[in-house]
Amino acid sequence: MNKQLRNALLYSLLILFAAAFVFPVFVVLINSFKSKLYISSEPFTLPDAESFAGLENYISGLEKTGFLASFGYSLFITVGSVIAIVLFSSMTAWYITRVRNKLTSLLYYAFVFSMIVPFQMVMFSMSKIANILYLDNPIGIILIYLGFGSGLSVFMFSGFIRSIPIEIEEAAMIDGCGSLRTFFLVVFPVMRPTAITVAILNAMWIWNDYLLPYLVIGSDYKTIPIAIQYLRGGYGSVDMGAMMAMLVLAIVPIIIFYLRGQKYIIKGVVAGAVKG
Amino acid sequence: MAGIKLQNVYKIYSDGFTAVDNFNLDITDKEFIVLVGPSGCGKSTTLRMIAGLEEISKGEITIGDRVVNKIPPKDRNIAMVFQSYALYPNKNVYKNMAFSLELHKMPKEEIRERVMNAAKILDIEHLLDRKPRALSGGQRQRVALGRAMVRNPDVFLLDEPLSNLDAKLRAAMRTEIIKLHHDLGTTFIYVTHDQTEAMTMGDRIVVMRDGVVQQVDTPQRIYAHPVNMFVAGFIGSPQMNFIAATLIQKNDGSLFLNPGENTIPVPESIKSEALKSYIGKQIIVGIRPEDISDNSTAISEHKNSVLNGLVEVRELMGSEAYLYIKYGSERLIARVDKSSTAKADDTVTLAVDENKMHLFDKETGVRIE
Ligand SMILES: Nc1ncnc2c1ncn2[C@@H]1O[C@H](COP(=O)(O)OP(=O)(O)O)[C@@H](O)[C@H]1O
Ligand SMILES: [Mg+2]
Repeated sequence: MNKQLRNALLYSLLILFAAAFVFPVFVVLINSFKSKLYISSEPFTLPDAESFAGLENYISGLEKTGFLASFGYSLFITVGSVIAIVLFSSMTAWYITRVRNKLTSLLYYAFVFSMIVPFQMVMFSMSKIANILYLDNPIGIILIYLGFGSGLSVFMFSGFIRSIPIEIEEAAMIDGCGSLRTFFLVVFPVMRPTAITVAILNAMWIWNDYLLPYLVIGSDYKTIPIAIQYLRGGYGSVDMGAMMAMLVLAIVPIIIFYLRGQKYIIKGVVAGAVKG
Repeated sequence: MAGIKLQNVYKIYSDGFTAVDNFNLDITDKEFIVLVGPSGCGKSTTLRMIAGLEEISKGEITIGDRVVNKIPPKDRNIAMVFQSYALYPNKNVYKNMAFSLELHKMPKEEIRERVMNAAKILDIEHLLDRKPRALSGGQRQRVALGRAMVRNPDVFLLDEPLSNLDAKLRAAMRTEIIKLHHDLGTTFIYVTHDQTEAMTMGDRIVVMRDGVVQQVDTPQRIYAHPVNMFVAGFIGSPQMNFIAATLIQKNDGSLFLNPGENTIPVPESIKSEALKSYIGKQIIVGIRPEDISDNSTAISEHKNSVLNGLVEVRELMGSEAYLYIKYGSERLIARVDKSSTAKADDTVTLAVDENKMHLFDKETGVRIE
């Protein structure tokens, strides 16, 4: 009885939290189907016969923002950065965890330290340097994201690699692997859950990031968040309908990606491989 | 198929610690060599240098006719079984065993044939689809052996492969590994801290201590002729008894040992030139538990070499019994027949087989001969 009560309480609390998080998304979704006049006057009502605007907002939004091009840039930058981050930070983490010397532990602390430096502190000098180095294009920005993403990623990979018994790698070397094959055929497959977690975490912030692309490539290559921002025309006029519609389109891919990947986030693959 | 040669091999770790100190060994093709010694004596380090997992600080290791010092593990054609098994966690049993063959670009059918063959020998055919985490310790052990077997390596390296198994399984796997060695006809180097495994499995045993090889010989020779007190005490269970005794020379020139109140004549068989210099001094006498007996035939046979002691504890082991004896200030173990009637608190007369005594220098522990 007591336990049931506790469960009930716990569940109501969780439902409350879930609702609080989902509510804004839901508001965006319903408003994206309302004609813009009704969005500011009655933002929380469901669209009715009068306010329902069909796909009108979507069509006008797609036209005004050049959404398809932006989607392309966002996708290219996000996918490129995530691949680069997962690949390079896993290899780096493997090296600095397995090869122990002064340099590697210094590197490790450099990566950890980079996590606590706020972006705002380096953003202006960074964007200036990016200009000088010709990094102000979609490929260059991948390099910058690699820099900003690798702190946390190296940290996470290192933690996991430490839990992998080194004998597995030694067995691989005896079985005929050099370093590269040991990494890609043995270590990386074992790290898959961590790799997926790292990919999801990075994909989410890079996809949604506004400031970095705005500073570095904003005017030439508009990613989705920047393109949406351009719906705020001059003098404070905002096309709310189109904005809501575009926001929905911006959120959908990342939610799909998250839902597909989340089951991998915590998965102890190594457990039980070592001791009897 | 290859012999292995270690010449003046040293391992000095980066912190300056010498884990292996001037190791010399000549292993012939198809031999079963056991490296044995207490934990931390450098057995694994030696094995790992042979495997190429650990750099050789000084000296030379030859496998077949190649000096392998600079050859990476993957090119040494060796197979290794780890104490922790080290199976690839996300490959199933089949893939674990096939992995090295795939790396060596062997045709699929041949891989299949070899894996199935090894699986059959090891009786793990029904497990081929399982992941390692779904296996018991003994099954993982077999897979690890299988992974090494399919390779047809020049050398099999095994680092305490049985120490994670329970006693019963350990005894069974011991026999299987001996059989495997017999069937494969490959050189085996087997590391263990367990003297029973060393005695039962090895063609030759290498006893190590603190990175230094103490003795290399057949199990029989090592048991009968330990070169020092360390080897004498390490090999054999229960342990060899050590008692201090003074070596005295009678007027007629005959030598006697005087451990406490009894005297034991030194027979011709263990006399030596070197022993003469110990006259009047204390030496250590080593006697194996089975060379001490309380039965009447033995006593009449060795009537000049008897000890009188007090039984403190009697342990019945089944076919035999151990008597824990207090002799003066020393403690001895005698391994006697189960029919022995001696029981706790009895004072007993024990016959020592004087021909089987081992004499050691008291300071250095080195065998006197
Ligand atoms: N990487 C290392 N650095 C320093 N000392 C080590 C290292 N690895 C092992 N040792 C030391 O070398 C000695 C021998 O180790 P090992 O060969 O593993 O012993 P065994 O296998 O006989 O138990 C031990 O005293 C151990 O502490
Ligand atoms: Mg060891």
